[in-house]
Amino acid sequence: MLTKRQNLMETIKGGNPDRFVNQYEFMDIILEMPIKFMTVPGSELKTDWGITFRWPEGQLGQFPVHDEEHKVLKDITEWRKYVKAPSIESSDEAWAAAVAHANSIDRNDKFVTAFVAPGIFEMTHHLMSMEDALMALYEEPEAMHELIDYLTEYELALAKVLIDRLHPDALFHHDDWGSQKSSFISPAMFEEFFLPAYKKIYAFYKANGVELIVHHSDSYAANLVPFMIEMGIDIWQGVMTTNNTPELIEKYGKQISFMGDIDSGTVDFPAWTPEIAAREVERACKNCGKLYFIPCLTQGLGFSSFPGVYDTVSEAIDKMSKDMF
Amino acid sequence: MSKIEEVKAKVETGKAKLVAGLVQEALDEGNQAGDILQGMIESMGVVGDKFSTGELFVPEMLMAAKAMSKGVEVLKPLLTGEATSSLGTCVIGTVQGDLHDIGKNLVSMMIESVGFKMIDLGVDVSAEKFANAIRENDNVTLVACSGLLTSTMPAMKETVQQLKDSGLTGFKVIVGGAPVTQEMADEIGADGFAPDAGSAAVKAKELVSA
Repeated sequence: MLTKRQNLMETIKGGNPDRFVNQYEFMDIILEMPIKFMTVPGSELKTDWGITFRWPEGQLGQFPVHDEEHKVLKDITEWRKYVKAPSIESSDEAWAAAVAHANSIDRNDKFVTAFVAPGIFEMTHHLMSMEDALMALYEEPEAMHELIDYLTEYELALAKVLIDRLHPDALFHHDDWGSQKSSFISPAMFEEFFLPAYKKIYAFYKANGVELIVHHSDSYAANLVPFMIEMGIDIWQGVMTTNNTPELIEKYGKQISFMGDIDSGTVDFPAWTPEIAAREVERACKNCGKLYFIPCLTQGLGFSSFPGVYDTVSEAIDKMSKDMF
Repeated sequence: MSKIEEVKAKVETGKAKLVAGLVQEALDEGNQAGDILQGMIESMGVVGDKFSTGELFVPEMLMAAKAMSKGVEVLKPLLTGEATSSLGTCVIGTVQGDLHDIGKNLVSMMIESVGFKMIDLGVDVSAEKFANAIRENDNVTLVACSGLLTSTMPAMKETVQQLKDSGLTGFKVIVGGAPVTQEMADEIGADGFAPDAGSAAVKAKELVSA
């Protein structure tokens, strides 16, 4: 039996996997980094960039607050006045928990995985609101290029510390690039503004020992797949059914793999049932096949919003492995 | 190309900085304010259609809406109050328990562009708050309920049912959001459904004109 790591590599290289890669099993994600990015239900968090997030009770996630009081970037033409990159904590003490976690992982079995969120696109709209950020791409393109360069420099500085501390085998990087039905921006605009940033970031990780780039965008983004390949993504996690995953696998499978096709919104909700989970897993596995595909909930980490869903999906994937391998 | 055609072209391509000047030039040439407004509404219809078909994306729609609003600012002193909101008032909000507002904001802009006065209640809006807004505002002809999460679909159903059972009259209810389908809209008793912002404007107009 192949290890989880070997089975993953066989799957994404078009080899001979002996079962489906089961959701996030191949990544051991280090979340203990000294960077504030996520609050908990019922509370509020101000990140080191000054962005305020609220997670009201009963909600499924946190939201940036963009009223006049809380919006960090009030005028894109004066972004240098408003946006100050935080210093990156690099002391032994601050990284002790993350390093201990990384050291505890059997690298033959799993990829030690660094985690970065939010990405460059999300940062632009977290700083100033989605409407402001998207209109600024048209109205103040030079300033947006400058801001994106600045955010990219921060990500590269963070990458240096992450690599130095954790020596990760993989990177799991979040940046949502679309709604459920379309990309937020056109492919041409994506190519101009965001492709160069990600080419730099992902090339840096690859040049420093990171074998696997896994990018999360739980959205439609089929029209951006050629750019994903160009920037060095190995696995797109979060691919929703709206992308027509089987078609993407057929077209691009030898260059990039697809992780998802089990829409969290369809499976992970208050009235969920094991039958719905099994139905969606079976559909995904049968339609997408054994290579270049990892059946997974589209959610951006290895858990579900409602207790039991993630494990039930995992069990259904194991069953499909027995049926299909 | 006539001046109104120029205005239409600039709205469609989102040239917000040019539209106000062109609208003024169109007025100076003797065009009626109402005709210029109608031209811009038609342009937004084209933008909405292109968004629906995937030809345009969110930034293009935002820029077109901004361009139109610049033109409307010039026209407003010349138009009667009714002319810019000839289809009545639309109360819009994201249903209770859901904080997503990007899609709702896009729908609001597009519905406004076809001639509604918008009352935006924001996100996490209870059925009671929707009902109060209908009572407190004049000529509410449309209520638009948005929801992105599967988990808040029961709240959408409850909102539609409470509005229908409230005894309030004179308005239609349109629903939308990623998990919403025509089938679901029919099941919960909504009058209309639209899959995206562009078609929401078309459907809104159709519902209140029926």
